[in-house]
Amino acid sequence: MSKKPTAGPALHKVIMVGSGGVGKSALTLQFMYDEFVEDYEPTKADSYRKKVVLDGEEVQIDILDTAGQEDYAAIRDNYFRSGEGFLCVFSITDDESFQATQEFREQILRVKNDESIPFLLVGNKCDLNGIRRVPLAECQQRAQQWQVPYVETSAKTRENVDKVFFDLMREIRSRKTEDSKATSGRAKDRCKKRRLKCTHL
Amino acid sequence: MAPQPVVTGLSPKEGPPGTRVIIRGEFLGTESIDLIGLKICGSDCLLSAEWVSPNKIIARTGPAKGLGDIIVTTRSGGEGTSSVQFRAIGNHEIIGPLKESAVWIEEAPTQNFAWGRRTLVQSVLTQEDPLGLSTEGNEQKNVDNLRELFPSSSGDLLQENFSPALFLLEKHSATTFADLKVGLKHLNRKVESQKEGQLSFLKSNAGSVIDQLDTMMNIRDKLLEDLNQYGPEPLNVLEQQIENSISKSEDIFTDVLVRKEKADSTRAVLLALSRHKFLFCLPNSVEKKAAAGEYDIVVNDYARAKSRFGKTEIPIFRTVMEEVDHRILQIRKQLHEKVIKMPQSVEQQRKLIKALISLEVQQSGSNINDKLRNADPAWDAIDARAKYLEQTFKQTFEQYASKDAQGAEKSKNRDPSQPPNRVAFCEEICEIAASQLPDLWRLGQMYFTGELRGPNDPRPGDFKRMILNAIEKFCIYLKIAMCTTDAEARSLRQSVGLIWPISHGSHDIFKAWLPQCLRYTRITYATLISLDLPSSALDIVQKFIDETRLHCFSNIFERATQKCSKLTDLETWEMGVEDFPGATLLPQRLEDLLIETLDEAQQACINPEIREGNLLETESDGQREVSLRLQKMLLCFCDVIQELAFNSHKEETPTHNVSQLLGYPNNQSSGPASGRFASLSPSTAITWEQRMLCCLANCAYCNKSFFHRVGKLFERYGYPLPSLAIETARYSVNKLFSNILDAYVEHKGDPLVGTIEPSMYLGGFQWDIEMPIGNLRPYAHECCDNLVAVYSEIYTISPALLRSILEPIVLTISEELARLMSCVPQFSYSGAIQANVDIRLLRDTMRIYTNETGRNYFLEALEAINPPLNAEQMKQADEILEHVKERMKLQLMCFFVKEP
Repeated sequence: MSKKPTAGPALHKVIMVGSGGVGKSALTLQFMYDEFVEDYEPTKADSYRKKVVLDGEEVQIDILDTAGQEDYAAIRDNYFRSGEGFLCVFSITDDESFQATQEFREQILRVKNDESIPFLLVGNKCDLNGIRRVPLAECQQRAQQWQVPYVETSAKTRENVDKVFFDLMREIRSRKTEDSKATSGRAKDRCKKRRLKCTHL
Repeated sequence: MAPQPVVTGLSPKEGPPGTRVIIRGEFLGTESIDLIGLKICGSDCLLSAEWVSPNKIIARTGPAKGLGDIIVTTRSGGEGTSSVQFRAIGNHEIIGPLKESAVWIEEAPTQNFAWGRRTLVQSVLTQEDPLGLSTEGNEQKNVDNLRELFPSSSGDLLQENFSPALFLLEKHSATTFADLKVGLKHLNRKVESQKEGQLSFLKSNAGSVIDQLDTMMNIRDKLLEDLNQYGPEPLNVLEQQIENSISKSEDIFTDVLVRKEKADSTRAVLLALSRHKFLFCLPNSVEKKAAAGEYDIVVNDYARAKSRFGKTEIPIFRTVMEEVDHRILQIRKQLHEKVIKMPQSVEQQRKLIKALISLEVQQSGSNINDKLRNADPAWDAIDARAKYLEQTFKQTFEQYASKDAQGAEKSKNRDPSQPPNRVAFCEEICEIAASQLPDLWRLGQMYFTGELRGPNDPRPGDFKRMILNAIEKFCIYLKIAMCTTDAEARSLRQSVGLIWPISHGSHDIFKAWLPQCLRYTRITYATLISLDLPSSALDIVQKFIDETRLHCFSNIFERATQKCSKLTDLETWEMGVEDFPGATLLPQRLEDLLIETLDEAQQACINPEIREGNLLETESDGQREVSLRLQKMLLCFCDVIQELAFNSHKEETPTHNVSQLLGYPNNQSSGPASGRFASLSPSTAITWEQRMLCCLANCAYCNKSFFHRVGKLFERYGYPLPSLAIETARYSVNKLFSNILDAYVEHKGDPLVGTIEPSMYLGGFQWDIEMPIGNLRPYAHECCDNLVAVYSEIYTISPALLRSILEPIVLTISEELARLMSCVPQFSYSGAIQANVDIRLLRDTMRIYTNETGRNYFLEALEAINPPLNAEQMKQADEILEHVKERMKLQLMCFFVKEP
């Protein structure tokens, strides 16, 4: 794909992060195959990729579904490095998972070394609003503090599932166009500089 | 056709072989049998694949490595594509329950299917039914019955005893008749087609059939031709030819055979030779190796030959072996010579002995051994080494001794910094002992621990005696070289019979090198100690070292005493002792010398090193020596003082600075002014009086505190307090003190006393004439002045000496006065008063420095005034005395200071 960037559709690499059991795989599978998995099986590292139509343009989404369990914390760095956008998922029925998002955020920022990396804070299991443990205000406050969007989803009812993936892809896309402008601009600058140098010499 | 399968999801996306993977995607087959292929990273995983839904397959990965696609193939959609990739990690091997693995692998359900290989290949040869009918549903029934019915027939079409009936019963018992009819028709059709086939085959190949016919005709023509040429029996010719060739070939063959046999036998001989080349070469190789010194190889080869051919019956081998035995015998003789040949290293010797012993042991059984019987090579080696050591000692001794004997004359003007030959000898002999004795001991050790022991028992007593002997010899040679007195040398010659040819006086040169020699000996001693020699051996050396140390100590002190005797030249007459005024720096110099000497002695010999005795034990020779040496040194110091006091100023006559009234009447100031003050000026030489006084002060100082300090100094260096030496020294220094004192007093007092009489009767003076009184007579004045002069002289040098010097002078004065007074027959009135005043003034003035006898003499002098004084005269005398004392107060005050 990298060999023929113009031929294939654009590829956006999304990484699912969050504590174990918050529903990262459920969201992914719902998005990918419209199916809801009832039984829980801890993920190690799953990979999904398919073509979708984003705002009339055909693109490819690559989803890396990572392990939430602490056992795999050490290898996360490697995965994060390849990600272009992150869905940071927690369960609104589990305060611990919400607290853990802080850690994930920090790890991502450390690995990517970029404050404005495309990032969505996702509160899953909003169908279980009855046994909610994390107040909505708190979630929104954290999102504001990080300056990222906050969305509540339900992998079971498919509420907002497409929205989070598409929103993230849009951010990634706009980020990429910005970057390419920046690099081309910089390239021009470099040319100018070089020319200047030459005249000096 | 359905769409291609597409794999879009993989869980997990990486893992070792055998990982359970959930594959998701689209169009992954409509049903489980629709799935006909699954490849993960190129390895076929169809066997483990479990089709769940068109979107999901669960499978286990196979043995693959690296990143790869997941290709799903369905009957309906064909080969698919994959948008995700699986990364196989770990090794190719499948980890089963019976296989070890370095990595941990989920064992879950054991997989016992073969990877990538379809095992369901049918191995049974299936035959198409001849009737073209399906055999399904025709299970065989009552096979036994059929076999009874057709005992010698078979239902197999390929067998000879094929029976159609049995075939039908076996294969088609359930087939309907109609079907069988159809089958028959099928069979007929087949047969028909085969028949038709034959005819049509000929037709189609007519050309080649005609060719064949032509060829056969040609062959017939040729045959006829041959018959014409060779007659009806052409075979006879052929037979003869063949027989000829047979006999020819047989000839050639036998010839070849003979040659081959020859070659074979030659080869066999060569083979045998080369196989036993070792043995045949042995006599020469053994000798060659022995010449090259590689005895190990000789031993090995000989052992090999012995074990292989030792008991051989083959005569050639036996001759060779005998030859070898003889050569080995020669080698043993050589070896034995080499073993006892010196010098050589222990290692070398050990190697030789070992070789010799093993050779001997190998030959011990045979009769050849009787020709040469080496009792005990190791013992011989030890013996040789010991002898060599002794010889080396002797040679070295003779070499150096002769050098000294020749160079006796020349040695006078040789470089003093060059060590004398004796020292060089000591060094060399020590080196020899330090290098060869250990060798000897090691060899002995090897011998007694059994490493080099032959078949004989060792002789420990002899060896010990040998070692002791060697060490004793070593000590004796050292002793001879180091002896420093002729008497010692003589006694050594009597006991040992050897003497170092020493020119007279070279002992002194050598003495300075004694510590050096001691050092050499000690180094050797340390080497010997580290060898773990028996203590009786070490004791010999220790005794010698202790003796030498003592010797060395004596030498150092002797030298110090010599230096001490030269202190005379070093006297600067500088008074520098704080706690004893008048004493010079001379004692300090002695102390410096002592410290230096003690340091040297400490370093050179007193400090005991490993396994050495303490020289300073009580009641030991060492202590006695220390005491003796110190005593000598201190006595020498006394002599130095004496020398300084009496002999150092012969050219300088003592100046008589006592004032004399003769020719100088009333000249009272002349006495103190003469010479005395001049001597204090730095430019002039030290006067005789000052020397005497300084010496006196030195004596007193030594007696009082300095010798004690010396004792303390010795104690500080760890010696026992040499009280005897110090007491002796004090006694002699006291004696010296009184000697010097006598000389000084005599020198000072005699003129002083001698002037009294002439001065008294100066100008025709007579006691019996009346005279003006109220003053002191000039002679008394003069006497006082002279006393003051002496006092000041002493005081400037050492106040502590005042009493001891003034007392005898005063005594003589009083005695003289008593004598003079008793000689006067008659005193006039005023003369009596005058005499009384004079005597009393002198008496009172010198009160402090007058002893009992002096006081008696004064009393005697007073009583000698004739006629004795009456009350009136007494009163007058008292008044005058008072008056005179008042006037002379300042002049006489010095005498009243009790502790100046």
